[in-house]
Amino acid sequence: MNKKYDKLGTDVFNKVEKISSELFTLTYGALVTQLIKDYEDIEQVNIKLEQMGYNIGIRLIEEFLAKSGIGRCQDFIETAEVIAKVGFKMFLGVTAHISDWDSDKKEFHLIIEDNPLIDFVELPDHYKHKLYYSNILCGVIRGALEMVQMKVKCTFVKCALSDESTSEIKVVLEEVLSDLIPVGYD
Amino acid sequence: MIYSLYILNKAGTLIYQNDYGPTEKLSHNSYIRLGSTFHSLHAIASNLSPVSGSSSGIELIETDTFKLQCFQTHTGIKFYIIADPNHPGLEEILHGIYELYTDYVLKNPFYEIEMQIRCDLFDYKLSRLLKLTTD
Amino acid sequence: MNRPQTNIVDRPVSKGKAEVNISSFAFLFSEMIQYCQDRIKAGHELEKKLSDMGYSIGPRLLELLCVREKNSKRETKLLGILSFIHTTVWKSLFGKTADSLEKSTEAEDEYMISDNNMVVNKFISLPKHLGSLNCAAFVAGIIEGILCSAEFPARVTAHNVTVEGKKFPKTVILIKFNPEVIERNI
Repeated sequence: MNKKYDKLGTDVFNKVEKISSELFTLTYGALVTQLIKDYEDIEQVNIKLEQMGYNIGIRLIEEFLAKSGIGRCQDFIETAEVIAKVGFKMFLGVTAHISDWDSDKKEFHLIIEDNPLIDFVELPDHYKHKLYYSNILCGVIRGALEMVQMKVKCTFVKCALSDESTSEIKVVLEEVLSDLIPVGYD
Repeated sequence: MIYSLYILNKAGTLIYQNDYGPTEKLSHNSYIRLGSTFHSLHAIASNLSPVSGSSSGIELIETDTFKLQCFQTHTGIKFYIIADPNHPGLEEILHGIYELYTDYVLKNPFYEIEMQIRCDLFDYKLSRLLKLTTD
Repeated sequence: MNRPQTNIVDRPVSKGKAEVNISSFAFLFSEMIQYCQDRIKAGHELEKKLSDMGYSIGPRLLELLCVREKNSKRETKLLGILSFIHTTVWKSLFGKTADSLEKSTEAEDEYMISDNNMVVNKFISLPKHLGSLNCAAFVAGIIEGILCSAEFPARVTAHNVTVEGKKFPKTVILIKFNPEVIERNI
């Protein structure tokens, strides 16, 4: 299964129009800076970033479906693979990997080694373990999955800017919203 | 010849409609009614399946004067076009329209999701796509 | 798996070759615009807010490009800095040079950089009541930030200019230098 989605992710990324990742990274930095100015409380910044990600996710999912041609996933394990190998690759040009499945297969960790959002970024000490700089990603995943009828919760467990490690997002499937599945797709 | 394009949101509300051929103009309310009627027919059709599980609803209606082709996304949006009965490649056109929607509607900060689509660039790209495919 | 992260100043400066999907930028920029809209009182404040967000990018980008492209040399001549923006800055942000750089025929202190297909506006249709808005105010802010930190203080704004035979207007970035800059250059 892995190989199939690796290839699809690469194919789709090769096909889409691209832009220098610097414009993207610097723009994101300007947004985070602005939020820190606008909200004094760092926890509020984390929340706002997640909400903005959610707003992006509910729109971005359509492009993902339209341009990757992926249909409904068999199970949550497949969903996780698709996010890591196709979703991340298609939009950010990098793949993530999956680890730490729980025994019910409803919870996994997404490990991001090369996160383009954090190029050039170093957090001042007083923000470490407080600001989840890339929290927008959690919102994007939550918003996108909700549109395909999966209610999930995403949280950063490790952030490369605070911990001496790669970034890690925990994704927990809370509910499948089966009554919202469009007719003809169950 | 493509006659018309309709886009319905998840709830079945008409969010976009445009005529391209020499079709008779209807009132705004009539288009809304046509849209919600199609939404209901689609839902009924999906329940008519004689085998277990619902069907995919209406994908194609063929008559001697027109053909209607519908594409429903996994998120529940419906795109359908009405064309002359011999028009080829309607499925590809619908997919092209879906891609334009993801680009010129969803990436427009002034578009509010689920609402009426009023985006000049979307109209422009659509008319180019439809001209290209009818020639 | 836990690759130790070296301190950011010890890592080599990025070559600027990495790319992301243009959609990732477009979704982020769109969400930023919506955020700004929610926090302003009147329509015309939107451009100011976008410009302010861009401004914070200017000094960082100047630093990065001077180190990478010019062996840390800085422009000290007015025309030098303008052509640096038209060429080097544009290439690093948008992957191409701007379409033209002109001196205003009406005012001694004004210069114009035009772009026929402004990347940041690629997917944006303006509502009727905001017809004169140009979201490239964000780019104008970046340019203003660069000019100010390079000691060429100026006021920079973005405008829509109709082109004969074209359905959609081009973007003109208008640079108006502070009096001392012009005096210095005579």
